[in-house]
Amino acid sequence: MTPLIEARGVSKRFRQHKRFPGLLGAFKTLVTTEYTEVTAVNDISFDIAAGEAVGYLGPNGAGKSTMIKMMTGILVPSDGTLSVLGRTPHLERMANARQIGVVFGQRSQLWWDLPLIDSFTLHQRIYDIPLTRYQDNLKRFSELLDLKPFLDRAVRQLSLGQRMRAEIVMSLLHDPKILFLDEPTIGLDVVAKDAVRRFLAEINRERGVTIILTTHDLQDIETICPRLIMVDHAKLIFDGQLGKLRSALGSARRLTLEFATDPGPVVLSTATLTNDDGLIKHYLLEREEVSLVQILSEVGSTRDLKDVALHEPNIEEVIRTFYQRRNTASATTP
Amino acid sequence: MQHTLGTLLLLVSMYIKSQMEYRGAFWLDRLAQIVSYGAVLLGMWILLQKFDLLGGWNWPELALLFSFQLLAYALGASASFTQLRDLEDLVRLGTLDALLTKPINTWAYLIFSGLNIGYAGHIILAIPVLVWALLAAQVQWSLFTAMFFAASLISAMLVTGAVITMIGATAMIWVRSNHLFSIFFGFWELTRYPLNIFPGGIQAVMLTIVPLGYISAVPVAVLLDKPVPLLGDFAWLAALLAGPVLTLIAIAHWRYAMSRYQGAGG
Repeated sequence: MTPLIEARGVSKRFRQHKRFPGLLGAFKTLVTTEYTEVTAVNDISFDIAAGEAVGYLGPNGAGKSTMIKMMTGILVPSDGTLSVLGRTPHLERMANARQIGVVFGQRSQLWWDLPLIDSFTLHQRIYDIPLTRYQDNLKRFSELLDLKPFLDRAVRQLSLGQRMRAEIVMSLLHDPKILFLDEPTIGLDVVAKDAVRRFLAEINRERGVTIILTTHDLQDIETICPRLIMVDHAKLIFDGQLGKLRSALGSARRLTLEFATDPGPVVLSTATLTNDDGLIKHYLLEREEVSLVQILSEVGSTRDLKDVALHEPNIEEVIRTFYQRRNTASATTP
Repeated sequence: MQHTLGTLLLLVSMYIKSQMEYRGAFWLDRLAQIVSYGAVLLGMWILLQKFDLLGGWNWPELALLFSFQLLAYALGASASFTQLRDLEDLVRLGTLDALLTKPINTWAYLIFSGLNIGYAGHIILAIPVLVWALLAAQVQWSLFTAMFFAASLISAMLVTGAVITMIGATAMIWVRSNHLFSIFFGFWELTRYPLNIFPGGIQAVMLTIVPLGYISAVPVAVLLDKPVPLLGDFAWLAALLAGPVLTLIAIAHWRYAMSRYQGAGG
């Protein structure tokens, strides 16, 4: 099957005039003819098939939004080829626009002073959505995200969570094949985040809408996206199923053994002792293939073992460990 | 076509509806405009009581120049100024990105979603002054002058809209454009006066690099059969062509600026 989105060696570089520090530097910045080139996206390739839900994750400045802007046709790639729905996005921006939905978490597309329903009516007109289809979609999505109580209220009177729910509903009214979301849960409270996540997961499952979502919030990805694309410093560092991230980034599991009486030092070949509190001992399991049964058989039945706990690192820990390790590496590199 | 027109009309009605959310402020603002432009007109009248003529133009002729300029500007700017002045913010805050993902012409969306009825104050003041001045000034009416009057007014509107579009579009390249609007208004204020009172250098600038002379000074001089510096006998043709030609340049410039758009980051 042809992928819905195909990126091959896509790069994006921005040219910026050089900035100099200090007061004198500020004047120098005004007149300088020196430029620096900033690479926001560096040689990224991936395929996304119809119906997938993909989380695009990375720290600030990793090039997530730039990639979304290239896929939606706003920006032109500096290198590589990009195909979305069989078209080159920046050359056929308007044709693609009818088949994609875009939500920018921090940029509202709603009419601030008018009742929410007016923004939806305008959307229906711009996208030329058949009236019955529009009404059905509006009814269904409004129910799912509980928009009904405030459809007739001016947008400026809505809370951030209500506005974001409305933005997402609006982006889906024209039945897009792909939904791009740039930080959709930013600034939302826990309840609103949860509602948005559950809704997106359902839309992906029920309607087969392909979802590409950039976020800082790993919970978004755990709920919505089975697949994760991770970028850092403009480069792709991981692309695969969320479950495989741990082994790919080499994060270790943690093991805690609790004894009824202190057995003294317990050295294991399958795990490394990191902390010895006497009755409670902590280990790191660096090897993926080591099972709990192996560990228990090595500990042996002679020792008075009371409890065992194996901690799988959550995705947040895995990524934090990865970035910490990278920062340490770059700090020690001359 | 009919669908696009319907969408654009809906945009206009939504904008007017959102303006009416602040009705009191809206009418107060219009009143302030009438008073402020009325004061400018009064200043010119006082000046003419002392000197009779300004560059060979008498009071009704200057009133014609003033009202023609105000009307042409109001009509042209209502379809361009606030929208393109705010383009800078749309670029800086990234709102333009969202607009670019819609299946509608970006310029048309911008213009019609902000078609500014706030220029009502200018128009309410300009029309009666224009009617009075057309009657009081010595216009040699003929079919040609009548047609020239209407066509040059449209051309002047187009000049206003085109120059504003060109300035606003630079925000897509440089993110900021409002400093250029300050220059625009500096020259725009000069267009209330006959071109011949300015030094040759300023005349040349206003007919070429900052072509605001075509908003009022050139067409009104032709209408009153007065000599036009630098353009001479071709002044009538230049007044009529300025609008369409600048519109074409503005369209090309807009497209170029769109192709250079890199966002403001984030």
